[in-house]
Amino acid sequence: MHASNDPAPQGSGSDPQDGSNSVPKSLRVRDLLAPTRVQAGLEASSKKSLLDRIASEFHDDRPDLDERDIFQTLLRREQLGSTALGHGVALPHGRLPDLDHPLGALLRLAEPTDFDAIDEQPVSLVFALLVPDEENEQHLNILARLARMLDDPTFRQELLEAPEEELFDRLVAKDDQLAEP
Amino acid sequence: MLASLSATAVGVAIVKIAILGAGQVGAPVAEQLALEGHDITVVDRDEERLGQLGERLDIQTVGGHASYPDVLERAGLGAADMVLAVTGVDEVNMVAWHMAETLFHTPTKLARLRAPQYLTHPELFNREAIPVDYIISPEQVVTESIHRLIQHPGALQVVDFAEGRVRLVGVRADRDGPLVGHQLQELGHQMPKVDTRVAAIYRRGEAIIPEGPTVIEEGDEVFFIAAREHIGGVLTSLRGKEETVRGIVIVGGGKIGSSLAQALERSAVQVKLIDNNAERAAQVAGDLKHALVLHGNGADEELLREENIGAMDMFVAVTNDDEANILSSMLAKQMGLQRAVTLINRGAYVDLVQQTGIDVAVSPHQATIGRILAHVRRGDVAMVHSLRRGAAEAIEVLAHGDAATSKVIGRRLDEIGLPRGVTIGAIVRGEQVLVAHRHVVIEPEDHVVLFLVDKRRIPQVEKLFQVGLEFF
Repeated sequence: MHASNDPAPQGSGSDPQDGSNSVPKSLRVRDLLAPTRVQAGLEASSKKSLLDRIASEFHDDRPDLDERDIFQTLLRREQLGSTALGHGVALPHGRLPDLDHPLGALLRLAEPTDFDAIDEQPVSLVFALLVPDEENEQHLNILARLARMLDDPTFRQELLEAPEEELFDRLVAKDDQLAEP
Repeated sequence: MLASLSATAVGVAIVKIAILGAGQVGAPVAEQLALEGHDITVVDRDEERLGQLGERLDIQTVGGHASYPDVLERAGLGAADMVLAVTGVDEVNMVAWHMAETLFHTPTKLARLRAPQYLTHPELFNREAIPVDYIISPEQVVTESIHRLIQHPGALQVVDFAEGRVRLVGVRADRDGPLVGHQLQELGHQMPKVDTRVAAIYRRGEAIIPEGPTVIEEGDEVFFIAAREHIGGVLTSLRGKEETVRGIVIVGGGKIGSSLAQALERSAVQVKLIDNNAERAAQVAGDLKHALVLHGNGADEELLREENIGAMDMFVAVTNDDEANILSSMLAKQMGLQRAVTLINRGAYVDLVQQTGIDVAVSPHQATIGRILAHVRRGDVAMVHSLRRGAAEAIEVLAHGDAATSKVIGRRLDEIGLPRGVTIGAIVRGEQVLVAHRHVVIEPEDHVVLFLVDKRRIPQVEKLFQVGLEFF
């Protein structure tokens, strides 16, 4: 578990576009993820309890966001079709009206759990993504890039084995490498 | 893991369900859901009843009071996708929902509620007060399904989709039906004003996949889908005569019988209601303005003769006694009554009754299970009807996404790769009903009504309607 060193995670200072209405050129993982929302060793015995844990992770880091709303938006999205990519990876996501900008969380499970994947493989790597209601293009690029990164078996293995404190940097570095300059 | 090996479970998304109460509703529901391969835990205070169920089915059982947090914890509610609170006590069911909501964040909560004192206050069941997704009321579902049979005499089964805008009707084709002996593709010429889609045909018990050149034969059990106002026309074309119900006999003045009589007060149908309990007969009589209420035995030949029952059009036996219902219905048929509809609780009797001349057996379990399945199926499923004793299924599912994220939106019906034995019957777009002709294109938020001859095709249909990863 990562202890938060950032006393005011509100608005996540890492976002250069914070407070501005202009569309960022290319949203990156570093803009929506924070080390405080990266966790390894998460325990979840089912898809439902995993979504519950994701919601509480977001809420712990951003107490202004309603835990139940996060859970509901992720759940409703899963009901329409699983966000599991196969190979033990899932990208649950949903819209949250009171959000100021997209927010991500990276989680690694202690034990893989069933996530209704097409290949029926249980999931152990999860990147959860919450976006504001009006967001419509940026997050799709991020989602596509995450799917591409995590489709790479070598990188997947890297994330499965890396120590918790390195997960943030590894994902961000890989993303920067893939993102268009 | 065992469950995934069973024949019906291939590709089925296993749903974790806690069923509270192993009684009349809980036990058969547990059985059906366990057979589908779902992960079922049943909670009941009666250890003996629980033991018997656990021996018979591949389920977990937990003994204890169904609304106590520690019992729910042991039942695995923390991980469960769904809770069904179906004990015989309304208050226990309500507290159990509350526990599921507050302590366990259970995504889907269904519960049985019987007392009209609660049911008449819908404001009790909103998100803030008692959050519940569906209130299971078998008596109400049965009453409505019998009422639909009275509206469409000649039908063996009538089920609703999209709040009744669309109906699926099962009917036996009669020699006199102008459409009988003709190919399905002639339907449009024969009935230019009536728009319908034949979803399935059962001939001598075997399903036939309906195609343009398929000829409807006498005795075929035909399932068709149409907008409500077209049902009468299709029925006439398959039965030959326009059937109406002018007089009806109801045996049993309980919840179902009395609310049925109540509903018919607003129509021109003449009602005679018979109940063997003097007190109840008097009470029902007090509540009804036009119906004739008789105190007596529904299987009393003399009484039936005295009341000239043979001249009525329909006989409905809805006491809480299966044997009494079967007996009185058989008697009524013998006295020349056109149609007998019989309420039967025990599954084994439902099969038996088909050979007795009774026209329709209504099973509370079969009528209710669909409402539960609608919450079990993946995707945005608005309604499920379990048909042909669970072998077939009709479902109403919403199409979400756009041409990029959906496998159905933006496509013509003949471009959609449906599994064999699956037919799209109709599409409901807002208020509009579109019968499924090949050139219809599916739009976002359409309600699509499908018929599956074999419910094992469900996972394929679910996948077809799933949105892609990029859907937000």
